[in-house]
Amino acid sequence: MNHTTRFRTTSVPGLIALLISLPAAAHDPIFGVGPHVLFKNGMEVALELEAESADSDNEQALAVDLAWGITGDWAAGLTLPYVFGDEADGRGDIALYSKYRFWRQDSLGLQESAAVFAKWIPDSGDSAVSKQADDLILGLAYGYEGRKRYRWASLRYRFNGENDAGIDRGDRVLLDFVAGWRPDPRGYREPDTVWLLELNGEYGKQARLGGARLPDSGGTEWFLSPGIFWTERNFAIKAGVQIPVLERLRGTQLASDYRATIDFEWHL
Amino acid sequence: MNIIPKTRSLMLATLLLGSAINHSVLAESTRYEMRVDGLACPFCAYGIEKKFKAIEGTRNIDVDLDKGLVTVELQGQRRFTDEEMKKLFADSGFTFRSMKTETHE
Repeated sequence: MNHTTRFRTTSVPGLIALLISLPAAAHDPIFGVGPHVLFKNGMEVALELEAESADSDNEQALAVDLAWGITGDWAAGLTLPYVFGDEADGRGDIALYSKYRFWRQDSLGLQESAAVFAKWIPDSGDSAVSKQADDLILGLAYGYEGRKRYRWASLRYRFNGENDAGIDRGDRVLLDFVAGWRPDPRGYREPDTVWLLELNGEYGKQARLGGARLPDSGGTEWFLSPGIFWTERNFAIKAGVQIPVLERLRGTQLASDYRATIDFEWHL
Repeated sequence: MNIIPKTRSLMLATLLLGSAINHSVLAESTRYEMRVDGLACPFCAYGIEKKFKAIEGTRNIDVDLDKGLVTVELQGQRRFTDEEMKKLFADSGFTFRSMKTETHE
């Protein structure tokens, strides 16, 4: 799923980093990442709306996501965002990603699996909203999917590049734990609802400029994120909100108020 | 010269031949019931429906998530094989276990 966060430092005003998690394929977490891919030669088209608030700063993004099932265990795609910020609007940095499910164990009404994924976010957007650097995300995801209960865990490492201002923005580590519950399992062609609760942790290294650490950067945030996943046949609506529950940000930074997302997804 | 009996015979033969062809091509259908593992999510199972719809002659495709069963009717002479189903379900992201068939005239 896509969500937006902000690289906040009072020493570099107006710098906005768009952190986008992988768009979810099928039943995957909303803010974390799951191991699901897409059926071979299947196509996913998604429209994603995101909103983020941190003190007085607000930002929204609209993204179109396209994905392709290369095999039954391997998918690739791209995300095209547009950012609406307090200070500027514009095309966000595109993202290219690929996910490979290397392990799958199936039994009656149950699938357990694991996948690796990579996402490359080059400096490609409008300068006013772009991070102005090339970033790379690598990660690992695990999922347990049953008729009534779900659980996921994912670990991501984001290599943040140096931007045009010469700032090394500090790499990030993201850790996610998710539980899901389908209270009323339905038939194949019937509407289906799954409730999710995520615990999302983010650790950011301090940024550096000319080798010196920037004091108002880096730190840890944890979010509790309720969400819902509603589907009918090949159409899905996913929505969730991240609520900060623990913040240890270095120096003076804007603390998150919330992040929210709603996605509309079609499998074709 | 007696043309009418010959014409009548020809017409009768054509009628019988047409009826035989019609009967063999259109009337036969086979119902397949496949045991599949990994079916937990309706949204995820859409790929199965799409793959079967791409095969000519298939109809009445249904997925029972609780029992792990996929049922399909296939018209005509063509038959599914285990190897074919194993690949179809693997391409859909699931595991094919076994298959039962029932032919209808």
